[in-house]
Amino acid sequence: MTQTAPVLSVRKIVITGILAAIAILLGATRIGFIPVPNISGNATIMHVPAILGGVMEGPLVGALIGTIFGLFSFLQATSPLFKNPLVSVFPRIWIGVVAYYAYVGGRRAFGEIPGLAIAGVLGSLTNTVLVLGMAVLVKLLPVEAIPPIIPQAIAEAIIAAFITVFVVGGLRLLESGRGGASV
Amino acid sequence: MEEFEIRRYITIGQYLPLNSPIHRLDPRFKLVAFTILIAAVTFTPTYLGNAVLLAIVSLLVVVARVPFRYALSGLRPALPVLLLLMALQMAFYTEGFARGVAGACVSVLDLWFIHVTTCSIKLALVSAARFVELLMLTSLLTLTTTTTELAHGIERLFSPLQARFNFPAHELALIFTIAMRFVPTFAEELERIMKAQVSRGADLGQRGRLRFIQQTKALLPVLVPLFMSAFRRAEDLILAMEARCYVGGRGRTHFTQLRSTPQDYFAVAAAFLLAVLVLSTPWPW
Repeated sequence: MTQTAPVLSVRKIVITGILAAIAILLGATRIGFIPVPNISGNATIMHVPAILGGVMEGPLVGALIGTIFGLFSFLQATSPLFKNPLVSVFPRIWIGVVAYYAYVGGRRAFGEIPGLAIAGVLGSLTNTVLVLGMAVLVKLLPVEAIPPIIPQAIAEAIIAAFITVFVVGGLRLLESGRGGASV
Repeated sequence: MEEFEIRRYITIGQYLPLNSPIHRLDPRFKLVAFTILIAAVTFTPTYLGNAVLLAIVSLLVVVARVPFRYALSGLRPALPVLLLLMALQMAFYTEGFARGVAGACVSVLDLWFIHVTTCSIKLALVSAARFVELLMLTSLLTLTTTTTELAHGIERLFSPLQARFNFPAHELALIFTIAMRFVPTFAEELERIMKAQVSRGADLGQRGRLRFIQQTKALLPVLVPLFMSAFRRAEDLILAMEARCYVGGRGRTHFTQLRSTPQDYFAVAAAFLLAVLVLSTPWPW
């Protein structure tokens, strides 16, 4: 019997599972939500694991983490906005994919750290733009309700960029043996 | 410190161990049937269609012997947002679902920038009904199925694709299992990190809609260590799995064998028929 190469290596399986666990945890606790005064009610950082997965292990891992995050946000949604698979699952698939290509492109053009920041920003914006786009498309949210969400989208993108830079940068340091910090 | 007791508040897969026909369904068939029903709800834009679906979903809740207050537990926290969204939909979606159909909508209220029509009211009410139906369906699925059953269901459902197209069905199930397994571990970790940071003077306690900048700043020293420790655990698990020569799904046998019964086929056929009927019926309103 010829053994075809596995689509997902052990490393990819584990990293996907672990990051999906964090996404689920952030969604299940209040940590993932930052209450803000607008219609969406909460800014979120739950999409960050998908960005990290995409940057570290490639587009497939990013897409898988996004899908799991999306499924959970659909199953556990308490907001009518996200109780629709077209809004909660489909857009999330693309977060990690976009983050990966943004990282690859950004690293080539500007170097490692700016590449990570670009991945964080674009991955985050993918989430915002696609979720709101789908919400408008399925007529859950009128276009007029979008402007108050824009500052929040920018904030989410900046937080995502910071976390991506710190976490991936920190891990690279640990790998190269230059960093020694631990909790 | 009790606001940091995270483990107590995570409710994932709130399984209700009851013995109902829906609990007993083979998870593969249950997943398919629920997916079909969710699709039917998502694509039905009429009052009557949604009334029928609401009745059917309620019937399912009764059949599953799940108390309605469990199935609808997500409704109360959602009410403020739901009402706000309905108001926005009524005020701004003048055409509702009927795009470009002349004379389909009758204006009800015309005030400056607010144009409420019969169509926008329909849109708001149908969206609300949809939300309630989806809420009941998704809670029904998680209340009647354990996460282990779900993982088995996903794996076995996609395993024909694994043989034919090298689709990673087994790997997906494993990813799902790892994710579920590590949620409580990371909850504990998160709790420890938060307490550690608070003991060093971090301001994590107060919450409020106008303090979002402080809250965001306070989150970074919690999240970065959480991710770092997660990756450390990931490395351990990778090493452990590779040391035991883990090679994935092909040719693997299973401890739990899923056996389908006529009831399972009936459930999927019923869901499918129902979806086709509801979606193809030209409901008058």
